[in-house]
Amino acid sequence: MIAENTQTQMRKGILEYCVLLIISRGEIYASDIIAELKQAKLLVVEGTLYPLLTRLKNNGLLSYNWVESTSGPPRKYYILTDTGRGILKQLDTTWEELSYAINTSRKEADNESKKPTNQTES
Amino acid sequence: MKKTHNINIGNSIVHIEEDAYEMLTNYLNEVKNHFSKSADDFEIVTDIENRIAEMFAEILAAQQKQVINIEDVQSVIKQMGSVRDFETLEDTEGEPEVSSHYNSIRKLYRDTDQAMVAGVCSGLGHYLDIQTKWIRLFTFLSIFIFGAGLLVYIIFWIMVPKATTRIEKMEMRGEETNLRGFANTHLHPLAEQSRGFIAGFIQGIGEFVQGTGKVVFKFIVGGIIAFASFFLLALIVVLAVFLGLWSSDVQNYFPISMVNEEYLFPMSIAAFIILFIPLLGLILFSIRVGFNGRPVSKVLSYGLLLAWIAGVFTGIFYVARVSTEFKEGAEFAQTTPLNSFPVYSLNINKARYFTKEDSLNYRIDATRYKGRKIMSSLDDDFNMPRSISFRMEKSLDGKVSLNTAFKSRGKTFEVALKNAQNIHYDFLQEGANLNFNPILHIPKMANWRGQEVVLVLNIPVGTEVRISKEFNRYLNGYDYWNCEHDEGSQYTSWIMTETGVKCKFEKEKNDN
Repeated sequence: MIAENTQTQMRKGILEYCVLLIISRGEIYASDIIAELKQAKLLVVEGTLYPLLTRLKNNGLLSYNWVESTSGPPRKYYILTDTGRGILKQLDTTWEELSYAINTSRKEADNESKKPTNQTES
Repeated sequence: MKKTHNINIGNSIVHIEEDAYEMLTNYLNEVKNHFSKSADDFEIVTDIENRIAEMFAEILAAQQKQVINIEDVQSVIKQMGSVRDFETLEDTEGEPEVSSHYNSIRKLYRDTDQAMVAGVCSGLGHYLDIQTKWIRLFTFLSIFIFGAGLLVYIIFWIMVPKATTRIEKMEMRGEETNLRGFANTHLHPLAEQSRGFIAGFIQGIGEFVQGTGKVVFKFIVGGIIAFASFFLLALIVVLAVFLGLWSSDVQNYFPISMVNEEYLFPMSIAAFIILFIPLLGLILFSIRVGFNGRPVSKVLSYGLLLAWIAGVFTGIFYVARVSTEFKEGAEFAQTTPLNSFPVYSLNINKARYFTKEDSLNYRIDATRYKGRKIMSSLDDDFNMPRSISFRMEKSLDGKVSLNTAFKSRGKTFEVALKNAQNIHYDFLQEGANLNFNPILHIPKMANWRGQEVVLVLNIPVGTEVRISKEFNRYLNGYDYWNCEHDEGSQYTSWIMTETGVKCKFEKEKNDN
């Protein structure tokens, strides 16, 4: 349960960051975002994306345009707002900090976990 | 061949097979429920619906077909993800997911697959998660409590729909109607649940603790149902009494004694309908609110409404007929001269004196008639409203007399007069003691038509009258308690003056 919770929290933040990254490249349709996320193995099902997009849009990070579609109803194409861009920059720095922190911590942890195993083997 | 539905999803029309439709509706409802917690639920659900519509369009175009079938819906849902998948990516902080553990909200249906009679007991068994045999036993036993169990059974039978579709059967068994549950029942359709009683009981307690609020609500609703059922039963008994299934003399008691005997039958039926249908409606509504969201069938509810209106109109009609019986009033008076005494005592005597005529009426041997006296029973008090009034007046000619006026109402003046003549009132002078009966009598089986007796005692000025406590209780219109000389006394003294009756004690005080 605790592990699950942490995983969820981690994944949530990263998913948001990735979505912003994908949208930052230009106007994009939800299912294309999904395709990319699936490829990156961050997302399995489409349904989870819609609440996220709606929330980001309501927070002013995203906006969308309606584009007519040949197959079915008009589609929402998402685009980053200026606020979204600002926040994405902040997230970039945060991510670098985080990855540094994690890399350092993991290195330490790896070293420490190797020592005792080596001792028992020798 | 399969039945198809036309649905409008994401503003496009899609043909969809029935089972696929069921599954899709179910899925969308789940999604809606899931997002109903968040503020933008409408937008999210619309996005999802639009996307599903688009996927359908793609599938139809790719496979060159016209109808969406269940596999298509399954693939779409797989792509979109189930509510369970959504949950993993949303806030799970705070409350632990109780719902994912035991999510099933059971609904009450009749289980006709395992029915003994109509599946009410097995349906309740599923609903309460108790083995059906216990419910059956309980129901069977409760039939002996004045048939209450039977009545409740019938009401449930009428009210509770039977589980016909797969979803309903799953809801009945408390299986999850989301896709996981759906998939399970696909593999082994409606596999028999065989859970031991104790396990069921423990689980029942768990559920009870989980949903205490709901349970309390259901208890209240259940209480209402039980009460209403009880009243319903009582109503049926009362109707039976009125229709004379048991010998009783209800028609001799007051409010009912107003009604002519020939109207009694239709009026009791009408009254029964007027009371029965709202009660039944209350029960049906309670069951609906408390146990199952299904409305009563339209035919049944309109039928009940019509029957009720018919009952009301019949009731009004007969009430109007009965009220015409009170149209005309008649009165006749007779004056009984009394032997004069300086002091009279007014007493109550509940004994009934029979005249020779009465004796003949009641077939008491008339040949040996010597002024019979019958001790009447006290429960006659409830026969009719107390309708005797008494006052004292100054005698103009110096003689003592009792003026008795008999009043009654009737359809016509003649009938009213006849009713007045039929009043029997007992009064007896025993020396200076005047004995009055607290009630008047009307012949057995006669209707109450506002019969009244007005007694006027005419006494000359200066005559003293002692009103006993008991007389005061039944008949007196005078201010008895203010005239009480000393508290232990059994009577108060009054005296006739030029200006009317005065309290003797007060008058003496004023004179001094």
